[in-house]
Amino acid sequence: MSDPIDHSPLPEDEFLAAEYALGVLGAAERQTAARRVARERAFAAMVAAWDQRLAPWAGEIDEVAPPPQVWERIAASLPQAAARAGLWQSLAFWRIFALASVLAAACLAIVIYLGAARPGESLVAAIEGGGQRSFVATVDVRRGTIAVVPAAFTGDATRVPELWLIPPGGKPLPVGLLKGDKPVVIAIPAALVARTASGATLAVSLEPPGGSPTGAPTGPVIGAGKLTAL
Amino acid sequence: MDLEANRALLVAALARIPAGDRAALQTVYRLTSAKLFGVVLRILDERSEAEDVLQEVYLTIWRKAGDFDAARASPMTWLIAIARNRAIDRLRAGRIARRMEPIEAATEITDGAASAESALADSETAARLAGCLDTLAAHERTALRGAFFDGNTYEELAQRMAVPLGTMKSWIRRAMIKLKACLEPGDP
Repeated sequence: MSDPIDHSPLPEDEFLAAEYALGVLGAAERQTAARRVARERAFAAMVAAWDQRLAPWAGEIDEVAPPPQVWERIAASLPQAAARAGLWQSLAFWRIFALASVLAAACLAIVIYLGAARPGESLVAAIEGGGQRSFVATVDVRRGTIAVVPAAFTGDATRVPELWLIPPGGKPLPVGLLKGDKPVVIAIPAALVARTASGATLAVSLEPPGGSPTGAPTGPVIGAGKLTAL
Repeated sequence: MDLEANRALLVAALARIPAGDRAALQTVYRLTSAKLFGVVLRILDERSEAEDVLQEVYLTIWRKAGDFDAARASPMTWLIAIARNRAIDRLRAGRIARRMEPIEAATEITDGAASAESALADSETAARLAGCLDTLAAHERTALRGAFFDGNTYEELAQRMAVPLGTMKSWIRRAMIKLKACLEPGDP
């Protein structure tokens, strides 16, 4: 025979690797093979080699753009508190920043106590959730403003943090949009001034750019905290 | 699209994912989601299932990007394997009908070999694979196509091509031996 190609059989494991990569195994055998891929380096390498051989075939398959909500669902499923790019540096920074803002609030309390301002003119809330303090909010009752400082907040590219006021036993009312990378000062909407009092809760949710389109939180709530008088 | 530039972008983005970089995942998605959706849709043939699986695919990429080794594999190969595996897993979970219309080697659906070009596939390796697939017997090539593109099992292929299961297994195994020998003639 003048066949120049060696057609001797492959080792059984290599057949299995090829069958797994091709996708021809039934459910049970496929599961067994997948477990071996996860555990056995040599077997995984054989599967990878077959993936490499077969993958160019996928060049025949036409591209089909998925609808935009697929990315939105993926982004929403990523862990909220996950470390982000370069966060190993900036996490430390934010921790110090958060600590500094707590210290600043404490100093402010002392200043107020020493008589510069009457008690009850300032309220604070630490907005926490999932073991993280994401923002610290300070209400200036006299001026009718809320200053919100980001602490360990990690946003995502597609959504913005929005602040809500929840009166005791009430529904969340929109206060304004926050920034993940710098403090903002929001003038409290007139309708909310009377309700911005000790015992009300501040919460932050992630919303589409421009804020919740419905007037109620539509995205995940990443933290909440009760307003208390300094 | 420039294949080399794309490949470099993809490799760089994949390398940033293990640190938790969402923007990097978004870059990978932007560059590859249309291809991977095509792959998944081809196997599942049902849009909402395919969208669901595509979401799983990118979450798998998010978790496993650290396993990708640019020195050993092309990023597209790695991504396509994840997409095919997730789609086939969904098929095996048995919630959707699979392609079962009879196929005969003689009436092989040739939407393929000649058009094996794509912005994302390296045309040289694609041409080499196409050349090697052409050396197979028509029935072997048809069986491989049914498995690769439709996600059929041995049993399903045997039924679709109306041959005994044992025959189908030996067709595919023989095709695999020939394919490997043709693609890597020097290897033992």
